[in-house]
Amino acid sequence: MFKTVAHMAYQNAFLRKSRALLLVLMIGLSMAVMVGLEGLYDGMSQHMIEKTKRSDCGDISLFAPRYRTENSIVYHISNAGKKVALLQGMKGVRDAIWRIESEGLAQTARKSRPARVVGIDVADEEKFGRYSDFLQKGSLEFGKDGAFIGNVLADKLKLLLGSKVIFSMQDSSGQLQSVALRIKAIIHTTNIMLDDRAIYISRQKLNKLLSLPPKSATQIAVLAGDTEVKTLQQHIKKAFPKLDAKRFAALYPQLKQTQQLLDVFNEISFAIVMTVVFIGILGVMYVSVLDRIREFGILLGIGYAYRYIRLQVFLEALFLALAGFVLGSVLGLLFLVYLKYHGLDLSVFSSGMSMFGLDSTIHAVIKPGYFVSTFIAIVTASLLSIFLPLRKIKRLDPIEVIRSIG
Amino acid sequence: MFSLALKNIFFYKGRSLTTFLLTFVSVFLFIVYVAFMDGAHRSMLKNALDVYTGSLQIYHKEYREKGGYDYLIDDVSKPLGILARTKGLKAYASRLETYGIASSKKHSSAIMLTGVDFDKEAQLSELKKALKKGTYNSKGACVYMGETLAKRLHTDIGEKISFVGSAVDYSFVAELFDVCGIFKTGMYDFDSQSAFMNRRYFDSIFLSEGMATYIVAMADSLGENDKIAAHIADRLPPQLELYTWKTLMHSMVELMKMDSFFGYISMGLFFMVIFFVIMIYGFINVNARMKEFGVLRAIGVSDARVSALLFTEILLLTLAAMALAVPLGAYVAYYFQVHPIIIAGMSDMYKSYGVVSDRVPTLFDPVIIAWNSALVFGLNMLSILYPIRYVRSFTPVEEIHHV
Repeated sequence: MFKTVAHMAYQNAFLRKSRALLLVLMIGLSMAVMVGLEGLYDGMSQHMIEKTKRSDCGDISLFAPRYRTENSIVYHISNAGKKVALLQGMKGVRDAIWRIESEGLAQTARKSRPARVVGIDVADEEKFGRYSDFLQKGSLEFGKDGAFIGNVLADKLKLLLGSKVIFSMQDSSGQLQSVALRIKAIIHTTNIMLDDRAIYISRQKLNKLLSLPPKSATQIAVLAGDTEVKTLQQHIKKAFPKLDAKRFAALYPQLKQTQQLLDVFNEISFAIVMTVVFIGILGVMYVSVLDRIREFGILLGIGYAYRYIRLQVFLEALFLALAGFVLGSVLGLLFLVYLKYHGLDLSVFSSGMSMFGLDSTIHAVIKPGYFVSTFIAIVTASLLSIFLPLRKIKRLDPIEVIRSIG
Repeated sequence: MFSLALKNIFFYKGRSLTTFLLTFVSVFLFIVYVAFMDGAHRSMLKNALDVYTGSLQIYHKEYREKGGYDYLIDDVSKPLGILARTKGLKAYASRLETYGIASSKKHSSAIMLTGVDFDKEAQLSELKKALKKGTYNSKGACVYMGETLAKRLHTDIGEKISFVGSAVDYSFVAELFDVCGIFKTGMYDFDSQSAFMNRRYFDSIFLSEGMATYIVAMADSLGENDKIAAHIADRLPPQLELYTWKTLMHSMVELMKMDSFFGYISMGLFFMVIFFVIMIYGFINVNARMKEFGVLRAIGVSDARVSALLFTEILLLTLAAMALAVPLGAYVAYYFQVHPIIIAGMSDMYKSYGVVSDRVPTLFDPVIIAWNSALVFGLNMLSILYPIRYVRSFTPVEEIHHV
């Protein structure tokens, strides 16, 4: 019986071709744009977070107590190399790295800017966060007096590859130290806190300049493996009780907040779109039932069970919705694949996007969840849309209907 | 035609109600959404301009490209004279910026020290309003510094800091200053790097009398800024160049454009779905009335008149929904412009993006409301084209026999 009902439902669903086509187009196009936008927004926030983690804080960062409030190298982590080795051996840690940094003044012959010098090891950074991805110009070799510079700071100081810059800072004993550096590379991490202010030199050199013991660090960054970050943070806190272990969300609350805002925005948009889609399906189903009200009356009159009519109407709604879903999935997937590999080129807003920590081309992400949630919403909308038409059928008096024929 | 359309609207209640409600939601949502988006952008921009940047700045032509003391404005009297004769400016002043290292007893930090006329700055920027501690309009060897900078240097009112930098003739400057005032604007970089000094004393140390890094001015109305800027630019000496806030705040302007771009894409999605639903309901409606159209055409009513009837119906429904949605949307836009929504902690959270206030006002702009409404109106009118085309694809006989 189900097969017969399903067959009838399929025939009826696409009986009025123009009407069915409009509905399928509406569902398909709105779904394609909806999942495209979801993928793009998720891509934006993931991109910002992922690059910030790779270029700076990882999933968890460790600091000496008071360093974050006082911002002084007096509060540094000693024997950072040993601590990093211990962290790298810890379960749930994918990688760990240590850095040293200090605030100071960057000066050229004509321009000056407050900046910060970050001591790094290029090989470690490459392993930790694929540092070479951030290279905009030049080569990642410090040499004797080499330094890398954030692209925004380089622009502000009008520095090119090979230009000289003097960096002045206060060492751990309170004395002012200056160092002449030659720009070897321009770095673009899209983390505005670094691109706008950072000059990178070798860790050993900076430790020496700051009169700190070798392998002193201001930050140890940890990338989590499979373990949940919160659990890993607790393990790290236990292992290093004297250090201040902060998660990404605490270090970059604005990025976390932005991601949450985008999620909420996506959910609200999704709810609005699906409500309107529901209204569309409802209208079509209601009219479709009204068109065939005599047919249903006769069927009831000859003893056809109401439950079969209910099933038929539901299947009709479902077939229409699923046709829209299939169209939307195909178009949405094509849209997302294009946006994932080619991206959306917004270089016309490049400096604004850089201010927000974004590349000028945004790449989408593809999550099965986009399609699953849309499928659930569309099936639910189909189910809900038949209540009103079914009520109309349920109230039918078969005798009246048969009498009215002719 | 009008009364027939009106009669049809009341007869086909389901279609009319759906079209009315969806149009109402579209217009209301669009007006309020755009008012919040534009309001937040304008507020962010205005805050940034009011705090320090001003609406236009005048530089030596090569300063922004090359920088340094070689490209200072060496005689400010002429451009200042031009500004004095220009109408529509709220205030203007010259500033001279230098960079160096400031140190307290134990701590040092790189700073931007700016020589300013405190009286003029009080009209031009938010420096005076930002005072947190001590004195604003200090004289002599006094600095007025950002709160975050004071924290970094572990210094407070009455204490001394040293400054090491260079004068405009590139001679070495090493001086002791008193901390006389501390300010907080909410702009993170500004509060952590900036200090100000009265111009007279500044000039005596940095040998910069009559010179300026740039001249800043604020227009009475941002809307008039481009006109004023063009007027001033025409009269400036050839070695000077004028920049408006659009260039000075280029990144922020682009950020806002990008935000608007995504905002309009999201609204576009809503409109697309709503457009389809209105079209579907219109289509269902004409389908149900096919016999009626057949009879009308059979008795000599022209195709154009039938189309006009359908247009009149959607026009009346759209206008009715807009008559309710536009005043309501405009009221919401106006109300939240006067009473902005306050999101506590927002400025602290987004300080690195230049957000300096927790207030999110809307923008009540009748022109924007008009084009928002016009767009929805246009889409509604378009939504009836396909149903009309469908009706016209049949002959009157086919329509009369339509099932």
